[in-house]
Amino acid sequence: MSQTSTYVPEKPLVEGNHTFGSLTALIGDITEKPAPTWWYIAFGISNLLLGLLLTMIGYLIWEGTGVWGITNPVGWGWAIINFVWWVGIGHAGTLISAILFLFRQGWRTAINRFAEAMTIFAVICALIFPGIHVGRIWLAYWMFPFPNGMQMWPNFNSPLLWDVFAVGTYFTVSLLFWYVGLVPDFATLRDRVKSSIGAKVYGFFALGWTGGNRQWQHYEKAYLLLAGLATPLVLSVHTIVSFDFAVSIIPGWHTTIFPPYFVAGAIFSGFAMVMTLMLLARKLYGLEDIMTINHIEKMNLIILVTGNMVGFAYIMEFFIAWYSGVTYEKAAFINRAMGPYAWAYWTMFLCNVISPQFFWSKKMRTSIVASFILSIVVNIGMWFERFVITVTSLAQDFLPSSWGYYSPTWVDILTYLGTFGLFFTFFLLFLRFLPMVSMAEIKMVMPQADPHYNESKGGHA
Amino acid sequence: MSTAQPNTYWRSLNELSHNDEYKRFVDREFQANATELTDGYSRRNFLQIMGASIALAGFAACRKPIQKILPYSRQPEFVVAGNPLFYATAIPFRGAVTGLVVQTHEGRPTKVEGNELHPDSLGGTNVLQQATILDLYDPDRSRNILLGGESKTVAEFSAFCAEFFTSGKRVAFLSEATSSQTVSRIRRSLSSRFANSTWVTYEPFGEENALLGTQTVFGSKLRAIPQYDKANVVVSFDNDFMSSGPDSVRAAKLFAKRKKVMSTQDDMNRLYVVESNYSLTGSNAEHRVRVKSSEVAQVAFALAAAVGADGFSGYSNAHSSHDILNQMAADLRAQNGAAVVVAGDDQPVSVHAAVAAINVAIGSVGNGVTYAALPFTDSANQNEAFTKLISDLKAGSYDALVMVGTNPVYTAPADVDVKGALSAVGTVVHLSTHVDETSAALPATGWHVNRAHFLEAWGDGLSYTGAESVIQPLIQPLFGGLSDIEVLNLIATGTFTAGHDLVKTTWGTADWREVLHDGLRKGTSFRAEAARTASGAGQAVRSLADGAASVDGIEIVFKPDSKIYDGRFANNGWLMELPDPITKITWDNVALMSPATAGQFGVEYPRSSILRAPADEEPMVSITSNGNTVELAIWVVPGHADDSITVYTGYGRTHSGRVGSGQGVDVHPLRTSGSPLFTSGTVTKSSNTYSIASTQDHHSMEGRPLIREATLVAYKANPTFAPDLVKVPGPIDDNGQAISLFNEQTFPEREPQWGMTIDLNACTGCGVCTIACQAENNIPVIGKNEVRRGREMHWIRVDRYFSGDVNGNPQIVHQPIPCMHCELAPCEQVCPVAATTHSDDGLNQMTYNRCIGTRYCANNCPFKVRRFNFFNYPKTFLTEGTDPEVVQMAMNPDVTVRFRGVIEKCTYCVQRLSRAKIESKRETNSVKPKDGSVKTACQQACPSDAIYFGDLTDSNSTVVQTKRNERNYLLLEELNIRPRTSYMAKLRNPNEATA
Amino acid sequence: MKSPMKSDSVYGILAEFNGTGGLLNAAKLVSKAGYTKWDTYSPFPIHGMDDAMNLKPSILGRIVFAHGILGFLLGAGLTIWTSSIAYAHNISGKPFANIPSYVPVTFELTILLSAFGAVFGMFFLNNMPKHHNKLFNSERFKRATDDGFFIVIETDDDLYNESKTADLLRQAGAIHIEPISA
Repeated sequence: MSQTSTYVPEKPLVEGNHTFGSLTALIGDITEKPAPTWWYIAFGISNLLLGLLLTMIGYLIWEGTGVWGITNPVGWGWAIINFVWWVGIGHAGTLISAILFLFRQGWRTAINRFAEAMTIFAVICALIFPGIHVGRIWLAYWMFPFPNGMQMWPNFNSPLLWDVFAVGTYFTVSLLFWYVGLVPDFATLRDRVKSSIGAKVYGFFALGWTGGNRQWQHYEKAYLLLAGLATPLVLSVHTIVSFDFAVSIIPGWHTTIFPPYFVAGAIFSGFAMVMTLMLLARKLYGLEDIMTINHIEKMNLIILVTGNMVGFAYIMEFFIAWYSGVTYEKAAFINRAMGPYAWAYWTMFLCNVISPQFFWSKKMRTSIVASFILSIVVNIGMWFERFVITVTSLAQDFLPSSWGYYSPTWVDILTYLGTFGLFFTFFLLFLRFLPMVSMAEIKMVMPQADPHYNESKGGHA
Repeated sequence: MSTAQPNTYWRSLNELSHNDEYKRFVDREFQANATELTDGYSRRNFLQIMGASIALAGFAACRKPIQKILPYSRQPEFVVAGNPLFYATAIPFRGAVTGLVVQTHEGRPTKVEGNELHPDSLGGTNVLQQATILDLYDPDRSRNILLGGESKTVAEFSAFCAEFFTSGKRVAFLSEATSSQTVSRIRRSLSSRFANSTWVTYEPFGEENALLGTQTVFGSKLRAIPQYDKANVVVSFDNDFMSSGPDSVRAAKLFAKRKKVMSTQDDMNRLYVVESNYSLTGSNAEHRVRVKSSEVAQVAFALAAAVGADGFSGYSNAHSSHDILNQMAADLRAQNGAAVVVAGDDQPVSVHAAVAAINVAIGSVGNGVTYAALPFTDSANQNEAFTKLISDLKAGSYDALVMVGTNPVYTAPADVDVKGALSAVGTVVHLSTHVDETSAALPATGWHVNRAHFLEAWGDGLSYTGAESVIQPLIQPLFGGLSDIEVLNLIATGTFTAGHDLVKTTWGTADWREVLHDGLRKGTSFRAEAARTASGAGQAVRSLADGAASVDGIEIVFKPDSKIYDGRFANNGWLMELPDPITKITWDNVALMSPATAGQFGVEYPRSSILRAPADEEPMVSITSNGNTVELAIWVVPGHADDSITVYTGYGRTHSGRVGSGQGVDVHPLRTSGSPLFTSGTVTKSSNTYSIASTQDHHSMEGRPLIREATLVAYKANPTFAPDLVKVPGPIDDNGQAISLFNEQTFPEREPQWGMTIDLNACTGCGVCTIACQAENNIPVIGKNEVRRGREMHWIRVDRYFSGDVNGNPQIVHQPIPCMHCELAPCEQVCPVAATTHSDDGLNQMTYNRCIGTRYCANNCPFKVRRFNFFNYPKTFLTEGTDPEVVQMAMNPDVTVRFRGVIEKCTYCVQRLSRAKIESKRETNSVKPKDGSVKTACQQACPSDAIYFGDLTDSNSTVVQTKRNERNYLLLEELNIRPRTSYMAKLRNPNEATA
Repeated sequence: MKSPMKSDSVYGILAEFNGTGGLLNAAKLVSKAGYTKWDTYSPFPIHGMDDAMNLKPSILGRIVFAHGILGFLLGAGLTIWTSSIAYAHNISGKPFANIPSYVPVTFELTILLSAFGAVFGMFFLNNMPKHHNKLFNSERFKRATDDGFFIVIETDDDLYNESKTADLLRQAGAIHIEPISA
């Protein structure tokens, strides 16, 4: 992960005259200072929502899947929508840590740590749904290939099973990646916390890291390899999630454009979520020097690009539907735009395709308020995208006789709200006890980190 | 193609208004003939059915049938535990019995089938007969004899009878229609013992008008027995003979015989229907004339005049000039007797008289129709007799009233004060299966006698055509209970005699064993009367015709419900949840009307918005007639006559039981003895709304080639119109199949390969397949709210689509949809746990124990035939009610009862297939049963033999013949999923003159 | 041969340098002097340090590759064996060994095991976890994870000589030198 001075001439990635020490203090102290009041309030609310989630799950398990709005023909409802939505969000973290790392994007260092944290918590929220949406929750473990007395094995033809492996692997690797990144920072905290318990806990997780170069050598190699592995992984995960739909024969699902389209959408929503959280964190913790306008603008550019990819996919779907010449295919897409769910379709279109266009203007790109609002709008839009794909296709498929309108029940809605409780409970704990910016990596992108820093200065003098 | 597709299919009811703009959009966006699939078709759009509450209600199946039977310490003869036994019996309904064969498991009746030896069943059944098993095991049935609410023993009741019914007592008998010879025998002794007694037969929708009609023409009450198999042309005046009438099974069987077009050489019959409400029979008509029910008579008279019926010379009315009428007349005359005109029991005497006159005029008597005298009817007009009886009772002209069955307090017209009569007479005996409205209204000195179900008691009767049949009990009465003959005999003699002896006395012992075996005395039937027009009949009919007046303004038409009839089956969950064949409504009755009429009540139609909010409810009308008002949901049926509202009776029961009570609205208050069939009334839009559970809310085929239809002529011109309609693109492999990306699995030689064909031309859409399947496969009943959510569990459903002009006279097509058992089943590959796989004999199997309920298979089924147990329906059932064990006895022990969270679906009745394979293996050492030796439940029940099933490896089997038929086509063939179930295209045989 | 003046109470000698540049130059000198049991310590990796210390390239890559192969075989084996041998069923009429369907699972397992290889391989090579390290006896060393740049030469090194080594480090530009007690 050695950086060369070739790209330094661009905007400084850390503003203000920071030294290594002041950066360590700026980030490290957050974990030691008593938590601000807002933190306790937010944490309380999150816990209430988390309780709500658990209650809803309990009710679901007690009563049966029928408490949801799902029906015949719409066998998948909010549960699957939420699953895909959360997994999508969970793509930003690894993307930032892996792909941007391979592309040597130094600016990632400001946000990769909590983008990864967000990824992990989002994937946890997502993983709840495949578990609870099945009719016999207590048998969900049958989806795993484990030797058993009945000598039965799962069906490897099923995209749902691919999902189990894809999302499972993705969660595991993201967690390892995140932890590996955290090790040097655990060491930093170990060496600076006052409380002996803190030192013990952080020390335990630091695994005895010394910062010796013989360790850095293997560490950097491992990080590079992980990035190289995570890159195809992150692309494969939403590809495979999209197979849940693409491999079926239902018009509106059976589409080859889904893999790239889903991946773009995932990055789109993931960056939007990172943006939302980052803008809050930088304000609340005064990290403006680290998470600069420059960062915000770069991320908005990615949102703009991926947003347009998604928009292109929407239009391509219609073209292909017409070009295919298949009655059912055509009807499915006309129904989306003109049918009983048109309201959902156009909400999606407005949020995902129209709204990002504001970012063509530098003024908007660099405006905190605009970025914040649009980042939320984008995630609303992405939820509706999954709604449109899942529900409208099922509601009106081949035989008009079996068409049926789907509408959620209060259980669906409260369960979804509950997942935010889970997410923010984890996230707030992360902000409180872990360095939300990778201290080791952020220092590397400071000019002082360059061994020839002093000489070059001398040269000019 | 255009010949193959005469109708331009219109979009869903609710957005036809969007038709044009929508089409423009379509044409702009997608050029027409962009695909070979859409030629000649309009394109699709949208409409939804909504659910709201997630509450759980109603019946369901149960987990394991617990059988309250003793172990066979001494093995009864023939009984092998696990193997069912079959007994012949007969089911009485409205004065006619139909032969049945009942399957029993360890002495427990579980399934009824038609008796092939019986001329009125010919092996078929209707929905009421299929569902009767659930009536037998209805835990809400009355379990005691009650005197003023106090439960009494049979001995006490016998004592009362002996002591009270002394000779000379003035006793009034009010009985449901019965043809029982034993009853007739006992009646003789009754009338001799009680000189001043009277016997009145009361049926709210009886055949009295029909008999009076023939009486007018022939001088005596004769029953018209249509011979549909002999008739090239059938004209029905508001007669829904394919639905659940007493003659429906025979009618469907014979009618279907004339619709079996197996080659271009074959011909088929032609059906004209004149009616107001869109009936099942109407949906099968070539030509349907929609007029108000009160106008039907006018059409009949006009036809009578057109065919030159006696007494109609010079007669003419508004309808006489209509082309269709004259074409009808010409068509009838051209058949020289091979035609029949029938009229519905819900039509006045004048219509039946006119129809009789027409049949005489066209010479179909003894050919298309025969007339028979009924040994059990009284010459008096029973409708009048009933009202007279009630007033006499109030006047105190009788010491006692004995009611055999019937529920007059609920079913009697509003102006007939039955309650008053009951309290006036004091001593009342009411024989009834339930403590119904009438039993509940009994005075303190009134006896309620719990009646035995016909499967529990001995009895007998005459079939519609007069076959002498015996009713053989299959099981001891579950709740005690006496049969009608036992009670009547008790009153007649004062001593109790077992039904068996009573029946045997009537029948004698000569051929007793044979009769019991066959279920009837072979070769017996009514003698066909010469049916000569009585002198002066012409004038009589003519005067009726001249006197007949139709209702001005809006008419209210009362029809018995096709499922629960006059309410007597209201406590049967299977029937309640069976979708109405036309409206697909479950659990409710509504006000059926045409789009135009609905418009009068501000019901925008088609509705402006194609969206339906989840909580959306139907607008209601309040109908006031004869001083009473009822509110009903408005339900638009395209093709219904304008200015006419049809309401079904049988709903809104108060003492029906857990299932029937409080479901729907009681419309009897609107009926009067003066106008029991249709009446005028003031109808206003109500501010209330009502939620309706309909299983199919989208009524258009969207121009998709799902049901393929042609006229007989077009078919003969192009026999392969149906398969030609869809050309599957891409290369074809050696077996003529579209190629796959992989080498498909093959099936082993030794195994049979099951396949099914459904002849859409024979199928009438009655829905008996659904009930038969429900009875055979332990399918739960889930209640109105769940159905509203779209969670009905039926394994085979009947899709119904409208075609033609929504505001005019559209046509209806029906299509039964079971699991297609696709060879390349899309459902199998997506199941993560391999819970659904393919068997060696080509079945798409569902392994309930392995299923974890991801519902992915249901999503991926293009036919949406997979059903999901959203709740633990069985558990709900087991924990509800007095003693659920009773209903558990109705379950088929050969079929697993499914539990919460698993998918279920049609199995081709795998339990029957396995049994047949075992039998065959034992006999022929091959697991391929010989053709016809195994039938699926739906196939066996179907009265019009529309379903063929068998082994595809047996090239001589009937199913293979049908698969080779040129009308045979695969649904959604272009998906290359290779369904094992295929369809034979529908044909209609319209009168060329109308073209 | 061991230096006579070596004391057992000392683990090594700690020298602090000024910034990355200083540390890099010092590292060059120390390695040129031929020391082997020594290391440089910094809050983040410094570009060029591996060459300055002339370390052999990490062998982690080979470990990961081996794990990748293992994962691939596991995935392919599991899918093919279960679906076509252990639990063969006619599913949608597809062949028992329906290879295209097995790609996703095989791929994911390959990635998973490679990742395990990378992470745990790295821990193994860095002999982590090791919670008790003599280096931690030095207060000043704590800054190695913050903003301190250090070289530690262990007394076990054959060339170690209390004064000579200290002089070398001083010449290399150490701004502070202290022994680390064992």
